[in-house]
Amino acid sequence: MSKIDSRAVDLVVIGGGPAGLAAAISAKKNGINDLVVVERNDWLGGILPQCIHDGFGLEIFKEHLTGPEYAQRYIDEAKELRIPCILNCMVLEISPQKQVFVASPEGLVCFNAKAVILSMGCRERTRGQICIPGTRPAGIYTAGVAQNLINLKNVMVGKNVVILGSGDIGLIMARRLTLEGAKVHAVVEILSHTNGLPRNLQQCLIDYGIPLMLSHTVTRIHGLNRVESVTISKVDEKLKPIKGTQKTIECDTLLLSVGLIPENDLSTTCGVQLNPVTRGAIVNENLESSVPGVFACGNVLHVHDVVDFVTIESEQAGKSAAEYVLGKQKQLERINVQAGNGVCYVLPNSISKNSEIELLFRVLCPKEDASIGFFDGEKLVKTKKFRKVHPAQMIKVKLSKTETTDISELRVELLKK
Amino acid sequence: MNRKSDVMIIGAGVIGCAIARELAKFNIKTVLLEKETDVACGVSKGNSGVLHTGLYYPKGSLKAKLCVEGRLMFPELAKQLDVPYSLCGKHVVARTEEELKDLKDLKAVGEGNGVKGLTIVSGEELKKREPKMDGLYALHSPVAGIFPPYLFAIALAENALNNGVKVHVNTEVLGINQLNNHFEVTTNKGVFYTDIIVNSAGLYADKISSMVGLDNYMLYPCRGEYLILDKKCNGLINSMIYPVPPKVAGVLGVHLTPSPSGNILIGPSAEFINSREDTRTTKEKAQQLIEGAKDLMPSIPLNEIIYGFSAVRSKITPPEEKTSRDFIIQEDLENFINLIGMESPGLTSSPAIAKMVVGMIKQKMDLKPDHDFNPIRKRTIPFREVSRDEQAELIKKDSVYGEIVCRCEHVSKREVLDALNNPISDKTLAAVKYRTRAGMGRCHGGFCLPRIVELLKEEYGLSAKEIKLKSLDSTMFIGKTKDLRADKKDE
Amino acid sequence: MKTEMICIGCPMGCYLTVECDGKTIKNVEGNRCKIGLDYAQKEIINPERTLTSTVKVKSGHLPLVSVRTNQPISKSRIFDVMELLAKVEVQAPVKIGDEIVPNIFDSGVSVVATKNISKKK
Repeated sequence: MSKIDSRAVDLVVIGGGPAGLAAAISAKKNGINDLVVVERNDWLGGILPQCIHDGFGLEIFKEHLTGPEYAQRYIDEAKELRIPCILNCMVLEISPQKQVFVASPEGLVCFNAKAVILSMGCRERTRGQICIPGTRPAGIYTAGVAQNLINLKNVMVGKNVVILGSGDIGLIMARRLTLEGAKVHAVVEILSHTNGLPRNLQQCLIDYGIPLMLSHTVTRIHGLNRVESVTISKVDEKLKPIKGTQKTIECDTLLLSVGLIPENDLSTTCGVQLNPVTRGAIVNENLESSVPGVFACGNVLHVHDVVDFVTIESEQAGKSAAEYVLGKQKQLERINVQAGNGVCYVLPNSISKNSEIELLFRVLCPKEDASIGFFDGEKLVKTKKFRKVHPAQMIKVKLSKTETTDISELRVELLKK
Repeated sequence: MNRKSDVMIIGAGVIGCAIARELAKFNIKTVLLEKETDVACGVSKGNSGVLHTGLYYPKGSLKAKLCVEGRLMFPELAKQLDVPYSLCGKHVVARTEEELKDLKDLKAVGEGNGVKGLTIVSGEELKKREPKMDGLYALHSPVAGIFPPYLFAIALAENALNNGVKVHVNTEVLGINQLNNHFEVTTNKGVFYTDIIVNSAGLYADKISSMVGLDNYMLYPCRGEYLILDKKCNGLINSMIYPVPPKVAGVLGVHLTPSPSGNILIGPSAEFINSREDTRTTKEKAQQLIEGAKDLMPSIPLNEIIYGFSAVRSKITPPEEKTSRDFIIQEDLENFINLIGMESPGLTSSPAIAKMVVGMIKQKMDLKPDHDFNPIRKRTIPFREVSRDEQAELIKKDSVYGEIVCRCEHVSKREVLDALNNPISDKTLAAVKYRTRAGMGRCHGGFCLPRIVELLKEEYGLSAKEIKLKSLDSTMFIGKTKDLRADKKDE
Repeated sequence: MKTEMICIGCPMGCYLTVECDGKTIKNVEGNRCKIGLDYAQKEIINPERTLTSTVKVKSGHLPLVSVRTNQPISKSRIFDVMELLAKVEVQAPVKIGDEIVPNIFDSGVSVVATKNISKKK
């Protein structure tokens, strides 16, 4: 007899971070009582408990909250709503029939779910993936891992630090390390601009006199057992190192903040189609993937910058999952949505005709006084102007019912002047 | 500690470990010394993990003889020692008509060395077996295989230890004094005494050899770099894919090697370097590997590269020479057996090398079989390798199996604890990585590193500064979070 | 005198150009809202920042509790606060909002906990 504990459940939410919690809360409020949140850490809140800086909650709560405080709001609400959350467990596989296999010290459980919400978040790009040449000593950390170690595990990663990547995580860690007494010698960025929020440039680098080296990258790591130095080189427009521009910075730690990748290993086990640009699921405006009854939200769908938007998106996913389970899903005619010139990606990937929709997208390059065009084939159906657009900032545009009635497809483009 | 032994093996690479295990079958005192914190820290862990056929070595050479013997001994040994492997076979691909001749030559060499089952197949047949490969012809060797070389070395060492061999890591030989009928070996951990020395120190074998005055050996360090593909690429190839070997001594060319874990290795490169410690990866070689891989398989998904590594081989063939020199396995001095230049096929040959060395020792001393010798060694069952039903069973019997520490490789806490409790190495992150695969997945420790750090602190009481990556000097942390501020006075 | 700065009031991060005469502001350009004006003012006269960090916990389920200043503090005192916090150890349990260091350096600003820490089992 199989020792696998089989349980039928209406909804499994994978991941108890901000996305999973918001989705579960929303599903409960929309009529689902038989649900469970499964979380691999022994805490709820996902990445937030280690994000001890503030800047969260401005949109939803109109407050400047720290990560742990923002998380606690939803942890408390989930508790009040008596949403079962299993901690310290690992989802091993989701079958195409929505069987969710979960391992924990209590045993191996198979949840036979009617609906699944994917909210597993993302992982960090590693040194190995960007192939930085050099030795493989101790002292090389991705920024998020360093943040976990310093803020949660009470260990300090190093004294003399160089950070590669000027995205928000890199900037935040530059400040964090400096505050705890380390010396951050430079933040090195391969692009000619930073992808982090401008305010983080001020409060993390400028405030502490930490140099930002744009159009530079790390071309070699030195040190046999522990990092001893890194070689930095200037790069050209093609992002290739320019000969003769090498500089060595002595340090004992290299932090990498070189990109986040949605963690869709489980999504592939159940057959969900992924968008190679976002590396997240292809979804419609209900955030339903190509597998009926499987929804995705949060960083696993696409990498967000502001957690408030993760919450809003996940509430939608929870609502949609509830509608699916309760048989209230509306079957409407759908049209495909595509990213055109100058646009990196658009979500959702398909929308219902004749409905009010909010589109989310990112541009490829920064631009001032930009116009975004919404096309149906060759026909321009809508234009929206923006003072400033930046790849680091997700843009939201609402389309009204009338705007989505008579179109057969939709393409979002950055208009040339 | 008893510092006297009958046989001392210097260097716990895979060959040293194989010799230790072979000697464990006898009622003698054997000691295995290793200067690093674990076994297999050199090229034994940084190679392709291939069980070679025996195609490349001249008939009558030690390499040819020991490779074929070692390969035939391997399956039984792997079963006894619980080492995963797969006889996936190998295709050497000819892309031009001229290269067909090279295939025929290789086939002849192989058959001359006693290899059975070699066939040359057409391009169409190759396409059927390997849909991603294009080629005019291919030489197929069905007997070649793949296995994790470090797991093999660890298993050999553990079985040797279980059968009475003393294994000392962090012990570096600094000098050897030849006395009347034994050797006095000075190490950083004090003096040891032994009747017979086996020098399997690999990259440093020339140094050990010169400690007894045999300083005529010249080693040419040659670095091999590799790139690893995400294991989601598993199935892109079913067998090892090699090009026809370039006309450079001892170099097999950039090839694609699958592995039991599902990752595909691209490599190795071959570069003679100045310093034997120089284990870095380089941009130039990574580029070469990428081009070599694209050349072999144009559709190879290079965006799925997850890591690059390198290891330094000890070659005795000077760079200018065209043909690779043979293994040197000889008693250069009474009771002092030198193993020099043990490059490829050193791994495949290791069981046969061990038998040969033990045969040499038998000439010098009475080797009585130990009737209590237990050839069986079991590893902790990897959670990811069993069925869901078996996983449920494992957790029911041992709840620690249910806590998954490494997300990417599904490594359970049971495996991590057993790895940390292993009887040989220091408690390092590398010891866990090589025994369990935790940290080898695509996120490279992104999830498991903080978990393992917490485990080391809570369950083993290690302080922040005591946590090492691999070697004694590879300190991970400078202390606790508040230590830098606590040490500083005025900013 | 013209000073460049980035407003940290919200995720927009407007680039401000502030024209001032000593500590008197003559003109602010680049702001999209009033927050930017207030920020520029404070920044010229007495720059302040909200500080977030961690503090050691005794007998807690975690070794550190995350903390924040409940109001912005003078930028010049940031490292002094960090030095002080490095020496603090608080006893579990801790609740969000608990005052860890009240009225730090007589500033009227307190350092409060931002995470719940329960007693270690």
